[in-house]
Amino acid sequence: MATRKMRLFSSISASFAVLFTLLNTGRCDEQVPLMLWTSEGTSLPSQSPPAAGHIVGRDQLDAYLHTALGSGPRNVLLFLQDKMSIEDFTIYGGAFGNKQDSAFRNLEGALLSSPSPLVLPAVSWPGSNAVIGALQDQLETSPLYMDAETLGQLRLNSSSPALLVFRLPYGTGSDLMSAKEILSGNDEVIGQVLSIMKTQSVPYLAIYTALQPSQVRLPRSDEFGRVHGGKAVKCYSNVWFFSLPFHLLPRLLLVRLVLNYEDVLGHRNFKLIFAMSQRHYSVSARRWFTMDQVELEYDGTKATFNGSRSIYAPAEYSYRCDAVSSFRWPSLFPRSAKDPANQWRVSFEDFQIQGFNVSGQDFSYASDCAGFFTPGIWMGLMSSLLMVLVLTYGLHMIMQLRTMDRFDDPKGPAISVPLTE
Amino acid sequence: MLVEWMMNGHAILYTGVTLAFWSTILVVGICYTIFDLGFRFDVAWFLTETSPFMWANLGIGLAISLSVVGAAWGIYITGSSIIGGGVKAPRIKTKNLVSIIFCEAVAIYGIIMAIVISNMAENFSGTTPETIGARNYQAGYSMFGAGLTVGFSNLFCGICVGIVGSGAALADAQNANLFVKILIVEIFGSAIGLFGVIVAILQTSKVKMGD
Repeated sequence: MATRKMRLFSSISASFAVLFTLLNTGRCDEQVPLMLWTSEGTSLPSQSPPAAGHIVGRDQLDAYLHTALGSGPRNVLLFLQDKMSIEDFTIYGGAFGNKQDSAFRNLEGALLSSPSPLVLPAVSWPGSNAVIGALQDQLETSPLYMDAETLGQLRLNSSSPALLVFRLPYGTGSDLMSAKEILSGNDEVIGQVLSIMKTQSVPYLAIYTALQPSQVRLPRSDEFGRVHGGKAVKCYSNVWFFSLPFHLLPRLLLVRLVLNYEDVLGHRNFKLIFAMSQRHYSVSARRWFTMDQVELEYDGTKATFNGSRSIYAPAEYSYRCDAVSSFRWPSLFPRSAKDPANQWRVSFEDFQIQGFNVSGQDFSYASDCAGFFTPGIWMGLMSSLLMVLVLTYGLHMIMQLRTMDRFDDPKGPAISVPLTE
Repeated sequence: MLVEWMMNGHAILYTGVTLAFWSTILVVGICYTIFDLGFRFDVAWFLTETSPFMWANLGIGLAISLSVVGAAWGIYITGSSIIGGGVKAPRIKTKNLVSIIFCEAVAIYGIIMAIVISNMAENFSGTTPETIGARNYQAGYSMFGAGLTVGFSNLFCGICVGIVGSGAALADAQNANLFVKILIVEIFGSAIGLFGVIVAILQTSKVKMGD
């Protein structure tokens, strides 16, 4: 359960910006976020969250809903806002250390306490528009449009399906203050509905999404995402922050950098995925990140190399190495003996990667894989130091040798040793 | 007077070495702190990247060499006294050879332990900390520790027996009755070398180097 919470936060990307690239040239302000969670005590089969930057299409959304409804509760609460975009959460979600100003307290509380939350940050908006229709089909019931007062008068049954839709307004968007008030008001409504559901103790599945994306855009440069040493790939994708104060940083953060290529080595679609994770290590009292896996995905096969934990750096810095390869002084090893990775030889030259704490377009300080002294130098230094100590001690002893001079008499006769007798 | 004191070779040597050592440490430490590279100071990296063979062989070398230093020092002290005392009282020569033998025993402990420890060094095929394995690291460190144990305890045992033996020779030269009692003191001094050997054997009892 703790791991799911952490995966939730990893997908909400707490306190870091992910440097990612996407060859998808769809315009990136046409997505709507979708959040899905269940009541406490009910859990769904875990579904893998989408890769960062991936836009969930209609079919994929249907698949997610099908899995959720197949084994989950039959009561669905759908909070449908007129407009929503991920920037609302960035701007009003207390992402810059001002958690107390967050307009989404009830929502965050619900996502945190749910055993199986799912956050899809980018659902293409024709899909989200049709979410009512999709739920209607899957539950085989017609939607009931409600608000908090009418919900209190409804008696729900955990066995019969019910689709309750709560329409939430959204402002015109140009006046920041009013947008925040409206979002806080919606959050209040969500809180009231969830508390009513809790008193009724009926298991439910809640979905929070919108019909259309709002037009709020953060001022930012258009080109985002660079592959070091390779082709620059442009993307207008969202960069979203959901920053948490340091003591609330989850124990484990996972990130995947996905590079999509077309027409590589005869494969139509080729994906290079770097999976990185960040943890707090108590002995060094700081957070470090490791590159856990390098995956090659093509034609449905997935070749996985383990990073063998030799690729690591402090979480705030980038990792740079002159050569990261699987065959010469290897630091990448196939995950198992039968893995398709055994048929590949991977080699990166002048490799630099950063998964966390990305700000702007430059890498942070590069923590190099080669230290100042190599192990050989240290071994030589140790042995030499030992020998120098021995030498010092020997010198000390020799320098304190004195010849016996007690009976010397410089004025007496010289000693003569006759040759005969 | 300062110039006279500085003319002493010892003072120059030790001052120079100490100064060099501490200034290196200070400068390196300051640089690490200023550039926020404290994370690069990694003791675990040092202990896992250096080869277990280095540690094992340092242990073997220290075992024999420190024991020999102890034995040599003891024999030199005792030997000079016996020879000096024997000028005026030749009867002490034969009896006091026992002291020399006690000192020599210390060197024998050292070489036996060095041979025992060096027989435990085997080849292994790993090159990275994961492939080398914990057992090989344990072997390397145990051999180093055992070598230090036997080396230092024999060092001080040899010096102890030497000084006591020197006193015994000179006392024997004065009064023949004293020798037997002083021999008991020497036996106690010799036992501490044996302790070192026993502990070193215990340390290397679980050593298994190799794949």
